[in-house]
Amino acid sequence: MRYLRSFGAFWYDFLVGDRPELFLGPVVALALAWLLATARLPAGVVGAFLFAAVVAVGATSLVLTTRPRT
Amino acid sequence: MQIVVAAAPAFVASLVEFVEALTIVLAVGVTRQWRSTLVGVATAAVALAVIVGVFGTAIVVLVPIAVLRVVVGGFLLIFGLQWLSKAILRAAGARAKHDEAAIFDRQVARLRSEAPVPASGMDWISFTVAFKGVLLEGLEVAFIVVTFGASAGQLGPAVLGAAVAGVIVLAVGAVLHQPLARVPENGLKFAVGLMLVTFGTFWAGEGVGIAWPGSDAVLLVLLAAYLVVSLAGTWAVRSQLVPARIPAAAAAKE
Repeated sequence: MRYLRSFGAFWYDFLVGDRPELFLGPVVALALAWLLATARLPAGVVGAFLFAAVVAVGATSLVLTTRPRT
Repeated sequence: MQIVVAAAPAFVASLVEFVEALTIVLAVGVTRQWRSTLVGVATAAVALAVIVGVFGTAIVVLVPIAVLRVVVGGFLLIFGLQWLSKAILRAAGARAKHDEAAIFDRQVARLRSEAPVPASGMDWISFTVAFKGVLLEGLEVAFIVVTFGASAGQLGPAVLGAAVAGVIVLAVGAVLHQPLARVPENGLKFAVGLMLVTFGTFWAGEGVGIAWPGSDAVLLVLLAAYLVVSLAGTWAVRSQLVPARIPAAAAAKE
């Protein structure tokens, strides 16, 4: 059980680490892009949305990391 | 073109990670025992080769291409954003840059405080530290090699790109016998992060059903757009830090 927990902790640290927004953000962005693509929106619009969503995730993470801690 | 797409990111990412691994290996070898250190390095290299061989082949053979592109693209986005945001923070001065010489000194000090090297046989401390260092630094490379190789259908060139980087770092390390502190690690990480995010967006986008206008040519547009946004991000973080530093400096003078 202890090995299983350490194994899980290792992979959590490897993929998520101390910035969960950089793991969850792309997952949510892709899910929304899939919904838009399924709704038959033009490819350029869905592509632009995905790009903007990725940029928003990165920007949010930078803001969270650099904001002054009280 | 596909060969370069698979080999170039694997080469650059491997260069960065192998430089970091070399620092650990040199620190262990110089401080303790070279033989056990090299056995640890070789064992980790074999483990990484098995990981790439098994997972790479299984992914290419078993997973349908649409699923592969979403999953792999998703992972590339996650890793790319992690690499890129760290590189932006370091370039902007919000995070300390990776200093291989300082890391080497810290490792040496830590290893000197360990139990003495046995007079004969294996030194398991050397083995473990070298094995863990190479495996952990190499795991990220293995992920990039497998994902890029599988998505581009060019696992061989991706492995070759990583292997060439490994040989170069090893050769330079063997000649200089000191950490490669002058390698512009942050610049390379910035470049790798950009490549990962660009290809991640492209492949994951294709996987969720986006038929990119202009097909492969859109990669250049995405790369340029991410580069501009990243440079703007670096500037924004830096300018946000400057006003924060001024009151701190004024307070320090008082």
